[in-house]
Amino acid sequence: MKFKLSGVLIGTALTLVACGEDDSVSIYTHNVEDEMQPMVSALEEETGVNADFLNLSSEEGFSRAEAEFPDVGAEIQWGQLHSLALLAQEEDMLGSYESPEWEDVPDEFKDPEGQWYGWSYWYNELAVNTDLVEDLGLDTPTSWEDLTDPQYEGEIVMPDPSVSGTGFLFVSTIMQMLGEEEAWDYFEALDQNVGQYVESADVPGQMAAQGEYAIGITWDQAVNDFIEEGYPIEGVVPDEGVGYDLDVIWIYEGYEEDENVQQVVDFVGSEAGMEAAAEHRSMVTKPGIEGTAGDAEPNLIDYDALWAADNRQDIQDEWDSRFNS
Amino acid sequence: MIVQTNTTVGDSISHRFKLTWKRFWSEPGFAVAAIIVAALLILFILLPLAAVLLRSFGIGGEGFSFQYYQQFLQHSSYFQALLNSIGVGVVTTAIVISISIPFALYVTRTKSTLSKMYRALSLLPMVAPPFIFSLSLIILLGRRGVVTEHINNLFGVEFSIYGFWGVVVAQVLGFFPIAYMMIESSLRSINPSLEHASRDLGAGQARTIFKVSLPLASTGILKASLIVFVMALADFSNPLIIGGETSFLASDAYLLVTGQQNLEMAAVLGVFLIIPSLIVFLYQTYFIKDIETTSIDSSAGTSNVPLNKKIQGVTFGISTLMALFIAVMFIMVVLGAFVQIIGVNNTFTLDHFSDPSGWEFISTSLIVSFFAALLASVLGLLQGYLTVRKNIPAKKFLEFVALFGLAVPGTVMGIGYVLIFNGPPLFLTGTVLLLVLNMTFRKIGVGLESGISKLHQIDTSMEEASADLGAKPLHTLRKIVLPLLSPAFMSGFVYTFMTAMVSVSSVIFLVSPGTNLAATYILNLANQAAVGRASAMSVIMIAIVLICMAVLKWIERRNNAGI
Repeated sequence: MKFKLSGVLIGTALTLVACGEDDSVSIYTHNVEDEMQPMVSALEEETGVNADFLNLSSEEGFSRAEAEFPDVGAEIQWGQLHSLALLAQEEDMLGSYESPEWEDVPDEFKDPEGQWYGWSYWYNELAVNTDLVEDLGLDTPTSWEDLTDPQYEGEIVMPDPSVSGTGFLFVSTIMQMLGEEEAWDYFEALDQNVGQYVESADVPGQMAAQGEYAIGITWDQAVNDFIEEGYPIEGVVPDEGVGYDLDVIWIYEGYEEDENVQQVVDFVGSEAGMEAAAEHRSMVTKPGIEGTAGDAEPNLIDYDALWAADNRQDIQDEWDSRFNS
Repeated sequence: MIVQTNTTVGDSISHRFKLTWKRFWSEPGFAVAAIIVAALLILFILLPLAAVLLRSFGIGGEGFSFQYYQQFLQHSSYFQALLNSIGVGVVTTAIVISISIPFALYVTRTKSTLSKMYRALSLLPMVAPPFIFSLSLIILLGRRGVVTEHINNLFGVEFSIYGFWGVVVAQVLGFFPIAYMMIESSLRSINPSLEHASRDLGAGQARTIFKVSLPLASTGILKASLIVFVMALADFSNPLIIGGETSFLASDAYLLVTGQQNLEMAAVLGVFLIIPSLIVFLYQTYFIKDIETTSIDSSAGTSNVPLNKKIQGVTFGISTLMALFIAVMFIMVVLGAFVQIIGVNNTFTLDHFSDPSGWEFISTSLIVSFFAALLASVLGLLQGYLTVRKNIPAKKFLEFVALFGLAVPGTVMGIGYVLIFNGPPLFLTGTVLLLVLNMTFRKIGVGLESGISKLHQIDTSMEEASADLGAKPLHTLRKIVLPLLSPAFMSGFVYTFMTAMVSVSSVIFLVSPGTNLAATYILNLANQAAVGRASAMSVIMIAIVLICMAVLKWIERRNNAGI
């Protein structure tokens, strides 16, 4: 019995260890399943590289990788905020790899050392439920300023900037437009109207779509997706302009020599990869490939990702003390 | 003089120690097994908990300090989270128990087919991820839910399910089966002749129920209440989905770890989660006197007096409402899986089922749960055997550790595992093995408990007979004890498998690319507001768990028939 039991135990352990280690590339991403799955399938089809991904919201993924470093549980981060790439770069968490596929992508979208590559960019947008606005007798908001109007009390839902990258982009955009002091006044006023802060950026879109709240602060593609699915949703790009963020891919330090990992970066920069991405993104960075937004360029402000990276922690701490307690 | 006394005492201690040791080693095979079990329990239950406790004082991080506890008390939201969690625990428990009792009375004391259906229905929520009802609740009772509109029109209020009451309702659904099962079994085990006696002496049925039946079942009811309370307190997924702006301990601890990597503060919250569980656990294990109504003598053939019209009416009413509620929630999940967007676009579709990652995670879940169930029941039984039949040192303590593993909130265990296994010398993060170990040692107490109670029922004379006839201890174990233990093995296995399939709170900290699990994936989908796919995955999981259980039941029945 003793031998049998220990045999079973050892056998089990070995099987499990074997299961845990296969030849797949493992990926952290902040992209939602809906978007990531087809892109990973395209990768597997095109290159034969197997990939496993785990969806973690921007902040969640970043803090997890930070804690795990130098033994990060994923080799690649495919889909993350530009500002977090800059932060990760500062903390020497990134490996550099010069991919030939990215040559024609403009320099502003990639790191000169090949430590990160931006494959698409996206911006904040409001998802407004047209049915509900009518039912409740509300005006359709056209600016950020409008959102503090008392008529919207309890009708706005937005992502929590201490967990969600989209939420953070919104907050730091307002900061860059108004200056810190005035921005905090703005958020205090907005807080009066916010019905709920949620964890992930797509949730406000979904909640507005389902009619839980009239207005969701979210990002462009979430709005497009819900319109396409047939929800009574209208996208509003506020007049003052919106911040945008580059969505980037990087290799964590120590994995940059791995050929499969390199192939993933190559694929994302290739025609096929960018086309797969363009199915789900308003704008991609490769010239000549059009995202779902087509030509309609929204009024993007001159967003300073570096400033956002530098002030991220302070802003989040202040946010927590004001609105999460 | 003093020195001399000391040496004598020392001598006698060392003598006793030698004796114990000698006896312990007299059967080296069992001794080695005992050491292995003890080491595993310490490594996979005690150490993670110790790590959480130490970390809450900053040890292993910045260095020893009370600052995190100070922050906890000053930061009003954390303290509020504690109050909310306790509040939800109390309210949920009160509701669950006051529904479970009439429900159990109805099922055990009427013979209609309807009561059998109700019984099956009442257990259904166990096989679904515990948070899935939050989604259905939002669809029905959200700010613009299907039902909400009528409520608002009817009462002229702005009704919202998000927050405290949403969590309560979701928990009532999720934890009802456990409480119900325990109460039902204690009501069933009451010797019917006691009730008959009460009736014969002239007491009415209501009086009999309140003065005889319920007092006899009170241990079971108390135990059920305590378990539901701890589960509600430690629940983290419902607050995450339907908690809205209200904060709760377990979900806050989770967000502190994942969102901010603030392990110290999460550890403090964890400590506040452990304390009530520990109190409840100690109380339940050492202070509740089991009045075990083992006056059972069901062979007498008497059955309970059927309920009279009035009481049957009341219990039927309550049971029906609850059964309907459960049914409606399940129908919502199933509908959600098969239509485009429930409530908005109700066209039929199978799209939500074509989810390659989902299927992959389901297969990982199956593998992990299977091995966890196997390990937990084998190790649990082994420990049970060593505890009851062999004279191993510290067995009370080891039993305590294993059973406490059951009571510890998953969130705390998860944080402990992150602290211990995320670096050398035990770098296990990102492996399937870690998931299996986590689930195994959280459930090892089940196998242990059922093993112990089974072994107490088996007369040692059988083993003695075997030994007298010349069988070696291992031979006796294999030929006599193990076959008798197989029902205990099965029950431990089934329970662990089922709970492992749907559990999220501790493994959510441990999943990684390639080793994601179905239940955490469903939570993720729910968080991304992908209701359709979350429902579809839940439906698949419910189906798989039900099929597995049916297969296991079949095997069990066949084996029993064979013996």
